[in-house]
Amino acid sequence: MRWLFEEGQDMKKIRIIIANAIIIASILIFVLLYSRFESGESYQRQIEHFETTTVALEQVTENYLEGEQRICDVWAHYINNEAMTMEEAAEYIRVSHVLANTSAHLVSLDTLTGLSTRPKQGTTDDYAVSYERVALLEDVDWIDEIGESVNISRAYTNPMNGEQSLAFCNKVTLSDPESGGSEAAVLLRVVPISELEQKWVFPQETFVNAELSMIDANGDYILKGSSFKNSSFFEFYSSYNQSDSASSKALFNRITSSTGSISMLNSHGQECILAFTPVTATAGWTLLGFVPAQDLHVDTENWLLVGFVSAGLLVLFLCDLFYMLHLNKRLQAAAKEAEAANKAKTDFLSTMSHDIRTPMNAIIGLTTIAERNLGDVDSTRESLRKISLASNHLLTLINDILDISKVESGKLKLSPLTFSIVETVENLVNISQPMIKEKNIEFSFNINKIDTEYLYADQLRLNQVFINILSNAIKYTEPGGRVSVDMREEESAVPNCIRLTYVVADTGIGMSPEFLETMYQPFSRQIDSRVNSIQGTGLGLAITKQMVDLMEGTIECQSEQGKGTTFTVVLDIRAADRQRDDMLLEPIDVLIIDDDETLLRTAVDTLESLGATAEQARSGLEALGMIEHRHLSGRDYGAVIVDWKMPEIDGLETISRIRSEIGTDVPILLVSAYDWSDIEDKAKEAGANGFVSKPLFRSTLYDRINDLIGKESSSQEPEDDYSDLEGLHILVAEDNDMNWEIISVMLSMYGITTDRAENGRICVDMMREATEGSYQLIFMDVQMPEMNGLDATRAIRKLDDPWASSIPIVAMTADAFSENVMECLNAGMNGHIAKPVDIKLVIKEIRRTTEGKEH
Amino acid sequence: MKKTMCMILAALMILCLVACGSQKQEETIEEEGFKPALDTSTSCHINVVGGYDNFEALEAEFDRFNEYYPNVEMAFTKVDDYNNMIGTVLNGNDAPDIYVNYSWMYGREQYGDSIDHAENLADPALGLDLDCIRNNIILSTDDGTLPMVPVFSNTYGMLVNNDLFEKEGLSVPTTYKELVEVCNAFRKKGYDSPMMGFTNEETTSLFTLTVYPFFCETVANDGEAVKKLNALDPSAGEYMRSSLEKMEQFLNDGCVDLDACAEIENNYDAVILRFFEGDVPMMTCSGDTVSGTKKRESRSEAFTANPFAYTFVPIPMSDDGACFLDMPNLQFSVNKESQNLDMANEFMRFLVTSQELNEMAQNKGLMSPTKDLSFNSVYAAFGAVPESRVISPEVIGLTDDAVIQLRQAVYGVGTGAMTVDEAVAGYGSFTQ
Repeated sequence: MRWLFEEGQDMKKIRIIIANAIIIASILIFVLLYSRFESGESYQRQIEHFETTTVALEQVTENYLEGEQRICDVWAHYINNEAMTMEEAAEYIRVSHVLANTSAHLVSLDTLTGLSTRPKQGTTDDYAVSYERVALLEDVDWIDEIGESVNISRAYTNPMNGEQSLAFCNKVTLSDPESGGSEAAVLLRVVPISELEQKWVFPQETFVNAELSMIDANGDYILKGSSFKNSSFFEFYSSYNQSDSASSKALFNRITSSTGSISMLNSHGQECILAFTPVTATAGWTLLGFVPAQDLHVDTENWLLVGFVSAGLLVLFLCDLFYMLHLNKRLQAAAKEAEAANKAKTDFLSTMSHDIRTPMNAIIGLTTIAERNLGDVDSTRESLRKISLASNHLLTLINDILDISKVESGKLKLSPLTFSIVETVENLVNISQPMIKEKNIEFSFNINKIDTEYLYADQLRLNQVFINILSNAIKYTEPGGRVSVDMREEESAVPNCIRLTYVVADTGIGMSPEFLETMYQPFSRQIDSRVNSIQGTGLGLAITKQMVDLMEGTIECQSEQGKGTTFTVVLDIRAADRQRDDMLLEPIDVLIIDDDETLLRTAVDTLESLGATAEQARSGLEALGMIEHRHLSGRDYGAVIVDWKMPEIDGLETISRIRSEIGTDVPILLVSAYDWSDIEDKAKEAGANGFVSKPLFRSTLYDRINDLIGKESSSQEPEDDYSDLEGLHILVAEDNDMNWEIISVMLSMYGITTDRAENGRICVDMMREATEGSYQLIFMDVQMPEMNGLDATRAIRKLDDPWASSIPIVAMTADAFSENVMECLNAGMNGHIAKPVDIKLVIKEIRRTTEGKEH
Repeated sequence: MKKTMCMILAALMILCLVACGSQKQEETIEEEGFKPALDTSTSCHINVVGGYDNFEALEAEFDRFNEYYPNVEMAFTKVDDYNNMIGTVLNGNDAPDIYVNYSWMYGREQYGDSIDHAENLADPALGLDLDCIRNNIILSTDDGTLPMVPVFSNTYGMLVNNDLFEKEGLSVPTTYKELVEVCNAFRKKGYDSPMMGFTNEETTSLFTLTVYPFFCETVANDGEAVKKLNALDPSAGEYMRSSLEKMEQFLNDGCVDLDACAEIENNYDAVILRFFEGDVPMMTCSGDTVSGTKKRESRSEAFTANPFAYTFVPIPMSDDGACFLDMPNLQFSVNKESQNLDMANEFMRFLVTSQELNEMAQNKGLMSPTKDLSFNSVYAAFGAVPESRVISPEVIGLTDDAVIQLRQAVYGVGTGAMTVDEAVAGYGSFTQ
């Protein structure tokens, strides 16, 4: 099928190329034909011009011939009138004849001898002339009576001087003194042809190679240009031009009787133009103009133009061709991309369908089981616990999908705010604890030189990155394995920033090199039976990578199957303007006990930076000795910080022995990277004064040590005390009955009472009519019939009652994108809670908004 | 695609090879051909004069010369009453650069100018390839100069209708005996006049054409006879006797029907057109007449209707075979006072080569003066005549006056106007 498509494409290409070639050829043919047409027209004009010039020359010739003949006529007339003898006539002409190169002959028709006006060549007194062997005057019928016409001879050799000459003739009657009668004679005014040739030429500037000839009625040359061959023009024509006798005869008749032009070949086989016109002054004579045809071809065939057009079209064609090929390649690439995108979409939907149905199946199935076993409390509780797990997974999946879709559509925006890295890490540890505990994983969290507590970044996204990596490490580490986190602060090359390096190393199942290449692609999960048993969307790493990229950081991964994985995230994060200043303890000696050298070193450094004098012990036994020594010397430590998990004797036993064996009441802080709840009672029982979670931040140590020695450094919210919420009355604008029921029931668990508005319009009306203090807060759904939450908020904000218009309004909506949050805030709301609601977040938001209101 | 590329490359290679090959060939021709010695851009006018009304063959040579010297304008001009006027022309304002000359003018005072104006063409500096011309017809003056070189040659012989011979199963005769036999054979086959010729005038009459070569052979090696003949000594008439008797025998042998010959009006057109009728196996004529055959083929309705192959062969009047009477026809001289002497000489150097002279002779239809006659089938038979039987009257030294006496005598005997004895006795007294 594909090759059929490609073959079709090739055929199309060929057709386009052929079409282009035809267009180019057509244009070129047109240009050539037009050029030829123009050239032909010009050629025709030139021929006409040549004809006209020949006719003009005929006029000139005629004028000349008539002029010469007139002189001869005058002489003849005078000679006849005066009845002169030959000698007298010769003398008369000799006297009146002034031109040096011409002469006159008087020839008796009886003897064809006579007298010349000039002596024979080489003599001074020999005037006798003979035409006996000239073959010119045997027949004189061609000489008309005086004044009737131009009587010009053919070119002949002047018997007196051997010059080729023409003669203008008249018959004269001479007196014969011997007989007393008269004799018929011919008067010849003899003109050398060389004389004539100098005057009788074509205008050279117009027709450089044109020549003239004059022929008589038989075609014999009277005057002959050098290109004219033979003794007769007709013979010349017949010798070099193919023609039958009838056509030739017709042509010769035409030439000798009309004005016009023909094309013929010369003796070189070149095409020439012969223009002809009758010489009207002489009977049957024709003037011929002869010029090579190529001389008349004015170069209107603009080859430069043709060449330029050709080259231009060719270049255009090639450009088009290459551009088309380029475009085709891009289109093919785009088509492939679209195809891949389509496939990805299909894969995505398929995966989504699978991944959503899996927890949904658990929820629906377990709900059915719970309904059936309502009487069995344990079974119902177990079902509800599992439903809760599946729900959380589903929520995570949906959140991840929303995140990845936002990332891929480029809509994910960072919302930086000032936050405490200490809180972030504490949160991170807290979140991780349940899983660590469940899987019995050895967990350590080391910090190094975290001096800058407050940072300015998108805490939510940063958390997401840290949690994703850490939760993956925990998830893919087998029970009994180890997960360690290292976080350190370094100087950044970016101004006003610190470089935060977050390294999570595990001894988990690791990843194959093949998977390492594709692990950042959405829905990519390693094909591994162990992986399949672990819950995951396959979106976490993709989101993490996108987040890190968005924050202009780097993420690196080193992994080996079966050995573990190390992720390293490096981020340049801006330090917040606000920092905790003057964190200095009063002079105090602190002993820190841990088997972890790194923790010892960083803790000592941190304590000393706080102004404390820190000593360290690498085991409980060593610590006992040091404490006892101090106690005996009356210089008890001001505080002892002891790690829970240590070899030989753990932290609890160490505390217990301090209290029992040494009997000192030195304040002791138990340090642990694990969940407190399991050991809290035992620790208190052993004598611990307080707890501190790893990692040991500077501020944490400061606060905890101050707490121990009786200094108040901060106030902690009592997490389980909800008394402050009791009595609150909240208006919930929610069109969906089930959602309304859920939120109202949930809030009621905390002693909060609620009223319901079914849509935005009712909510606004209720607020308009409510008395001041009726409600402390409004939870506003956004998408509601009649009036949506945004419009309702705007309307409330415009109410006249200042209490009503300033009441805190928190969006409670399934529109969870950041732009939705911004829309809500822009409409005048004070916060945003995404559905499905987390009651802890709801409580937190209630406290935040109501406290803010109180402030 | 690969195949197409290969084909294109192969075609290009062949093209290159052909181009190289033809270039090589052109170079070879260039090496062997004429090499201009002057600046080829020279511009001048060269005028050649002669008595011909037209000289197309020479004009063709002008065109070929113009391929080397495109700016040299060359023209042929006819001079009326050439023989008498050439001297005047040479002394006049229209003096030519090259002119037609005749070796018979040597020593004749009235033609002195024609010889005196001629440059010595034997001058090695001119570089003329005189070796290509037959020695018999390169005629120097007594003082050893060479005023003219022949560009055509002439001879006497007979036109033979080869198709007719072939048709009748006869061979062209090479001895007198064979001639008589062939004539008899033709007559028996109904050809009343197997051999014809012009007989109405003495000049180039059948009688002269047949006997003159025979006569020359009889006196060729007899200096005394030539001397007497040239002196028009009446006693020299005896030297003609054998020739005149041969004429009588020829006529008596019935080779010729004089009545039929009398119908031929002139020795040129009429001779050719009669021959083209197709029923005449042999027609005596001179080389001049042969030169007119080609042009007249189309003018003869009979020949146009039934064309045939013909050649020009020597007439075998002796049993020893035919003689080749080798005579110069037209000779060219260079006017040593030419304004463009170098270019005139350059043209002569171009023309006097076997290639150009043969080309011009072929075009003109005349016999070439070169040693190679084989190129033209019409005259090829003369090239086959043994060197010993090639005779040149000029070499023998017979003067025109002596030849005129012979012609008159032969004509008188041939026409029956006089007997052999009367003709022998009348030698020296005949007038033209």
